[in-house]
Amino acid sequence: MPGPTPVSAATKPAQPRESPLGLTVRSILRKRSSRVALVVLGVIVLVGILAPFIAPYDPAAQPDIVALKNLPPSLAHPFGTDPYSRDVLSRVLYGARLSLTIGILATIVSLTVGVAYGAISGYMGGWLDAVMMRVLDAFLSIPRLLLLLGVLVAWPHLSVWALILFLGLSGWFGLSRIVRGQVLALKHAEFVTAAQALGASRRRILVKHMLPNLVSPIVVAATLGIAHVIVLEAGLSFLGIGVPQPLASWGNIIQDGADQVATLWWMSLFPGLFMVLTVMTLNILGEALRDSYERRS
Amino acid sequence: MIRYIARRLAQAAVIVAIVATITFVLIHLAPGDPFSAVMDNPNVSEKVRETLRAQYGLDRPLPEQFLRYVNALAHGELGWSFSHDRPVREVLGTALPNTLLLMAVALIASFTLGILVALVQVARRGSIIDHTLSGITLLFFSMPDFWLAILTLLALTYWIPIFPVGGAIDPVMHEYMSLGGRLLDRLWHLALPAITLTLLATASVARYQRAALLDVLPADYIRTARLKGLTEREILRRHALRNALLPIITLIGLSFPALLTGAFFIERIFAWPGMGYAVVNAIGTRDYPLVVGGVIIGSIMVTLGSLLADLLYAWADPRLRSH
Repeated sequence: MPGPTPVSAATKPAQPRESPLGLTVRSILRKRSSRVALVVLGVIVLVGILAPFIAPYDPAAQPDIVALKNLPPSLAHPFGTDPYSRDVLSRVLYGARLSLTIGILATIVSLTVGVAYGAISGYMGGWLDAVMMRVLDAFLSIPRLLLLLGVLVAWPHLSVWALILFLGLSGWFGLSRIVRGQVLALKHAEFVTAAQALGASRRRILVKHMLPNLVSPIVVAATLGIAHVIVLEAGLSFLGIGVPQPLASWGNIIQDGADQVATLWWMSLFPGLFMVLTVMTLNILGEALRDSYERRS
Repeated sequence: MIRYIARRLAQAAVIVAIVATITFVLIHLAPGDPFSAVMDNPNVSEKVRETLRAQYGLDRPLPEQFLRYVNALAHGELGWSFSHDRPVREVLGTALPNTLLLMAVALIASFTLGILVALVQVARRGSIIDHTLSGITLLFFSMPDFWLAILTLLALTYWIPIFPVGGAIDPVMHEYMSLGGRLLDRLWHLALPAITLTLLATASVARYQRAALLDVLPADYIRTARLKGLTEREILRRHALRNALLPIITLIGLSFPALLTGAFFIERIFAWPGMGYAVVNAIGTRDYPLVVGGVIIGSIMVTLGSLLADLLYAWADPRLRSH
């Protein structure tokens, strides 16, 4: 509950009250699986950030399209080269950067829209809530991939920014429903009634009193959401309507080798391994976060 | 009960109507129209395009177009597929049974396997077996559908050539086979796509069911059973599993979108002639009506799936049955 806690501070002067965030972080770090996941994810993020410094080659350079194409893994090219003679390792490292960025930015879009929609629907109630929820039902029954197919095929040659926007706009329905439920439950909480009695505006109540109580489910949804977007982006890129070529994303690299899966196995294996590792660590962390939040509530 | 069914049916109808509206908005938000997308070809004269637009009613005001569109949909018309030069309804109609077959096999196999895995895990909760199985299910849960499909294709058709590379039948020999041989040929081709989809789906079923079983275990009736002297095995089988089976029905409804999405990628990679294969190929040829048709049919399948699951749940739960 918000507000100062003078009583406990007076009785136990030595122990400052720990913030919910601190509690969450501590309870996650207690599990070995989440510690490992955090380290692995940290390395992948670092790889993405440092890609320009650690990549052995330029990811877009095609040094010799005849002599250096389709080379299997070797010392000079640990992950081999692609049909355009580009170094796959460098592309995978740059792919980490692009795929993670897309995952994070698209999830921010989803969170913004989802929280706003769910909060408004839950707080306003009545017919508006009913209509908004039926629309949500409809969106939830279109598989996300199909919805994106419908959009992306209609708009060919999209930029990465537009792709991020669409990925984000197709991913808020589930979260929105959770937020609505929480807001509905909070609407009759004592501190909300108190704020109403003190004359706080609707907006103030939503932003100042309800939003802080929504942080935990939002953090869980964000962690799992990033994982989901990374997989979706890769799938769309694999189908040729995701990240525009010649940019390197994990899905794009796999797509480059998709016509010759059997001979160019290194082109699907290595970016895929990075992707699975990223998604797995995000899932582990997301679940650990959910466990710790469910235990507290 | 009847009132519940009626309400749920009405709800599904509203959802389908809104889905139709959403797809209509999608089509009309897009730049140009189906003809500027398909016929980027300079050899097609403006006059031909105008005629086509008039033929398809694209020159009419939007509200009229919307009514025509809804009317056509209600009659099962999904437009004309440019790349197949056939109605979309026919293209998807021939492909749909293949997709349904793939999904049905994977659904049955993954729920059987998933529940079994969960039972083994809960019977030995906290053991190495439990942890290992949790790790494996998490791994498959985190795998992109298309990547696992590529891996199984690589491993079981190229490296260890057991299964055929793709398609639903042997392109040459199928015609010359006996009836039994043809059936075997079909099963042989179905095996790898079905195994891949099953692996993907099993992971989420097992994870979900393990959690459901663990939720049930602290219940009073389990304690009672334990006090009565039942073995842990009997408790799991006779008390825990029965009560944890109800959420499985919900999960069946929820698993439809994932199964369908998985089928899309798997069909593309194994050249399995289903709806996903048709729609994914339509992306390449910019056959927009076919893609939109796939979106609509896919959404209807998901809606029907969750409707069916809800009705099944109401029927199976004695607490709801009496209402």
